[in-house]
Amino acid sequence: MLVLVVGLGVYLGYLNHLINSRFVGDTWALPSRVFARAAELYPGLPLSAEQLIYELELSSFLAVFAEPMPGQYRQLGESLELHTRPFDFGDQLQPAKTIQVFFERGRISAITDSRNGADLQLFRLPPVILGSYYPDNDEDRLLLSEAEVPQSLIDALIAVEDRGFYDHSGLSPMAIARAMMANIKAGKAVQGGSTLTQQLAKNLFLTPEKSLLRKFNEAFMALILELRFSKRAIITAYINEVFLLQQKRIAIHGFAQASRMLFKRSVDSLQPQQLALLVGMVKGPSRYNPFAAPQRALERRNLVLKIMYQQGLLTEDEYASAVEAALGIVKRLPGVNPFPAYLDLVKRQLQSSYSSDELAQRGLRVFTAFDPLLQRNLELGLARGLQGFNQPELQAAVVIADYLNGDIQALVGDRITDYPGFNRALMAQRPIGSLIKPLLLYGLLEENLTLASKIKDEPIRIQQSNGNVWEPGNYDRKLHGEMSLYQAFIHSYNLPFVQLGIGKGLESLADNLAKIKLLKHEVVYPSMLLGTTSMSAYEVSQMYQVIANNGYFTPLTTIRSVADQDNHTLARIPLESHKLFDQASMIQVQRAMIGVGEKGTARYLNQRFAGRTLAAKTGTTNELRDSWFAGFSQRLLAVVWLGRDDNSSINLTGSSGALRVWSEIMDLQGFESFKLSRDDNLAWRHINPEDGGISRESCTNSVLLPFPKDRIPTTRSRCQ
Amino acid sequence: MPIALPVSLLSRLGIFFVILICAACSVPEAPSNRYHSDAEDSQLESGPVKELQNQAIAAINQQRFQQARDYLQRAIKIQPRNAWNWHYLAQTYWHEGQYDRCLAMLERSRSYTSSDDLLRVANDWLEPKCQG
Repeated sequence: MLVLVVGLGVYLGYLNHLINSRFVGDTWALPSRVFARAAELYPGLPLSAEQLIYELELSSFLAVFAEPMPGQYRQLGESLELHTRPFDFGDQLQPAKTIQVFFERGRISAITDSRNGADLQLFRLPPVILGSYYPDNDEDRLLLSEAEVPQSLIDALIAVEDRGFYDHSGLSPMAIARAMMANIKAGKAVQGGSTLTQQLAKNLFLTPEKSLLRKFNEAFMALILELRFSKRAIITAYINEVFLLQQKRIAIHGFAQASRMLFKRSVDSLQPQQLALLVGMVKGPSRYNPFAAPQRALERRNLVLKIMYQQGLLTEDEYASAVEAALGIVKRLPGVNPFPAYLDLVKRQLQSSYSSDELAQRGLRVFTAFDPLLQRNLELGLARGLQGFNQPELQAAVVIADYLNGDIQALVGDRITDYPGFNRALMAQRPIGSLIKPLLLYGLLEENLTLASKIKDEPIRIQQSNGNVWEPGNYDRKLHGEMSLYQAFIHSYNLPFVQLGIGKGLESLADNLAKIKLLKHEVVYPSMLLGTTSMSAYEVSQMYQVIANNGYFTPLTTIRSVADQDNHTLARIPLESHKLFDQASMIQVQRAMIGVGEKGTARYLNQRFAGRTLAAKTGTTNELRDSWFAGFSQRLLAVVWLGRDDNSSINLTGSSGALRVWSEIMDLQGFESFKLSRDDNLAWRHINPEDGGISRESCTNSVLLPFPKDRIPTTRSRCQ
Repeated sequence: MPIALPVSLLSRLGIFFVILICAACSVPEAPSNRYHSDAEDSQLESGPVKELQNQAIAAINQQRFQQARDYLQRAIKIQPRNAWNWHYLAQTYWHEGQYDRCLAMLERSRSYTSSDDLLRVANDWLEPKCQG
């Protein structure tokens, strides 16, 4: 007898321990959510109604015709009225708010508070969730607290699943007897006698196997749960735990997330028929899946509605209209992590502070700089650009950043942009070819040369330390004689740069690469002058960030801040700015890069975007294996790489390949012309790029270039 | 505890002050060509940026420096070449004794202040403080 009692005690203690481990403290592994940037809406912002709708749809807003509820919007003529959900930005809690946004010629013309009609100068839109890091069990859920669970949901669930919920202590002998009778009558298991508490015990702690021991454990656990926790806590746990939907590999648990995914609504704003559909799905998530079996799901929903009506939870009118309503679900479930390359970079940048397990379980809220509108243009522009090459094996990586504050705003690492495979934007290390030349030019300008300095394009032989002789050539295999440094740069001639570089140029190039942490070899070798150094598109973006930003280095980042699931900020990434290079010299480099787009290797830009100014550089590697293009407007820097994974030739130069993709993206995005900063240390003169002599504005080919005030060219050129 | 520069007051007096100074100052050799902006961002009137700057100033005066930075980073995202944004950011670091960051932000502010004399005065005032 004593042994029996001790045995029972140990057994109950074990069950209690199981309950403690799952029910007390952090009950569920919660995926961390990654948020896009919060769009700042203000009068004058270039944004169309179509773009705002795209952003709202990504945020699971629902289009309606009546006055919008939280999470809904409607079109009113040329304007949009939207009702945001409350949102904690980490730095500020913003309550739900209804605003009206007016548009005129592709810009926001006004924003008003719908409550009182007051004009708003600024409104921060709650950000899109761009993805999540899921736990190993691939479960996704949004948690509701006890206070957040709508009473209507509790009532409906109890009416359908366990009418004696408030009266039993975890087990319902009557229900078990009823089920047994029904099953004997039918000759098979047609009815279950489990209470909601038993179902919760099964879902939380036990395996799905059907055995007597499992039933036994389930019953005891239900009793312990009822003894230790309130009915409200138990029903809340049930509502958060129950499995309702499968979206590819991800299992959607809990009513909150299922409601968001099926109806784009928060669970507290569901209509009776929507609530009834979800409650009906509890009995068999696959069997009553509204996508796979819409008719069966509809019948089940209507049965639930009937029970709700019979139990007095719906009026006759409410019941009649709910039964008539269509299923009203989204056309298809939103994709799982449609932006894998960006999400991958966020994870890598988080990994110094958080392990993969923490990311998959702690329910962190990661706020990033991701811009969904820009990403859309990137993806569309890339697809259009690639279409023109007709090369199925051609791969791509693109990085778009705000070079002024270091935000990485959009990124792809595969031509199939939602394919979560090898992230070429970060991992594909490829020689960068002539993309190295702006930094090399910077070093030369610092060594007392100017854009007008006369240089020679002539053959060169270099004896290397290993005894080999290196004989570089120009891409067009021609020699072009004497010219200005500016001319050699815009046409990307190799020989003059090697000639100039083998002296101090190589040393300063290595120093400058080291400053931005991109010097990858301890031994500096001459072929670096022609960009044999391998980099990823992400690293190239960092190099061009500092060039575009007048020599101010700002580390490129995806992350702005991280908060825990209770919205306490855990970390912020401060805005950094370090002056690493001389502004006046960098402005000269930028001016030369403008020339590349005007008359140089990227003159296609001048045809395509006539009248607008961009700074750019093309890059091509040996045997046409890599096609690079880097360029910037007044705000955006974009770097495009094209190549093949097997490193074979793609038959495209930077100009015939990556430049075309870059142009498609920028055309879709729209941009402001790049403007050079004013610098009092520079003086501007017209010169003849053929010989670097001072020229007149009216002369053919004359170009306006900046010079340090103590190095203004003095020789005159003959006007053509 | 250092006292915040009464920037809001200076801002109110600013326009008048700048007109007076600019009327007297000589124009540096600044070419006007198609490669330059017609107006620097720092001179542009921008409602949302002004609003965020005012909120940042209020936060600085209440010694809520992180909150001030949150406002200013938003302002910089809207108007990154507005030198006042960077100046106020430098102020938040000065108040917290983060002098390296203060200098870095001040330097950035200066890179945009070619024609704003009031800001030049404010930056000159802040520089020795950033040096600790």
